[in-house]
Amino acid sequence: MRFMLLVKADKDSEAGVMPDEKMLADMGKYNDEMVKAGVMLAGEGLQPSSKGARVRFSGGKRTVLDGPFAEAKELVAGFWLIQVKSKDEAIEWVKRVPFPGEAEIEIRQVFESEDFGPEFTPELRAQEERQRAQIAAQRR
Amino acid sequence: MRFLIIRKADTSTEAGVAPTEELIAAMGRYNEEMVKAGVMLSGDGLQPTSKGARVKFSGGQPRVIDGPFTEAKELVAGFSILQVNSKEEAIEWVKRWPQIDGGGEVEIEIRQLYELEDFGPSEAIDRMREVGFAKPR
Repeated sequence: MRFMLLVKADKDSEAGVMPDEKMLADMGKYNDEMVKAGVMLAGEGLQPSSKGARVRFSGGKRTVLDGPFAEAKELVAGFWLIQVKSKDEAIEWVKRVPFPGEAEIEIRQVFESEDFGPEFTPELRAQEERQRAQIAAQRR
Repeated sequence: MRFLIIRKADTSTEAGVAPTEELIAAMGRYNEEMVKAGVMLSGDGLQPTSKGARVKFSGGQPRVIDGPFTEAKELVAGFSILQVNSKEEAIEWVKRWPQIDGGGEVEIEIRQLYELEDFGPSEAIDRMREVGFAKPR
């Protein structure tokens, strides 16, 4: 099963403070361990919300709101996508994230196609598989 | 440049309400356009927070808190990653999000991803490049 690990934002990430070399080296080591264990599928950092936007849909109207957004603790600053056998295994990996001091990471299970019922028809499943294959081919 | 598109949660996604065939088909058509345009890099949906957890570090010590979490509007229900030439282009794609999703009431956040070039030169960044991080296209 796949899990998304969402790293919550804080004042520093929202201010665009870049990690120092030690932090980068520690994260690199941690990522290396996950890659070697065959657990890590992706990992990315997000620029501050000041470089982002929100689009709100309501009653057929679209409103674009430019960042920054205020509630830093509810924002996302980065994420990993991992493949593990259980939520407990995901939690064990998260406990080892080399963040010094204060941090919060949310662990969320990713839907797999087998989690959906008959609404996800064979035709729609085939379409999604084809799209994923096409994306993989484009990235090569 | 790459953008993370975050589909915010709502009471339906947090309740684990399955999408209708109509919604799945509409999302499939929307994704199809983005794949054809070569802008879509990935996309997935997240299970409700009742199946998740949070790990809070304080003084470097982890503490585990099981879901569900309450502030639905601040939670993430799904995401995709787009490769585009500008934030405006990302916004244009997001504006075309299927209208039937969330009964027409949806909030989507657009966030730029860091690329390895955004960091100064260091061994750690070289190593990340080696293991295939942020593969340039």
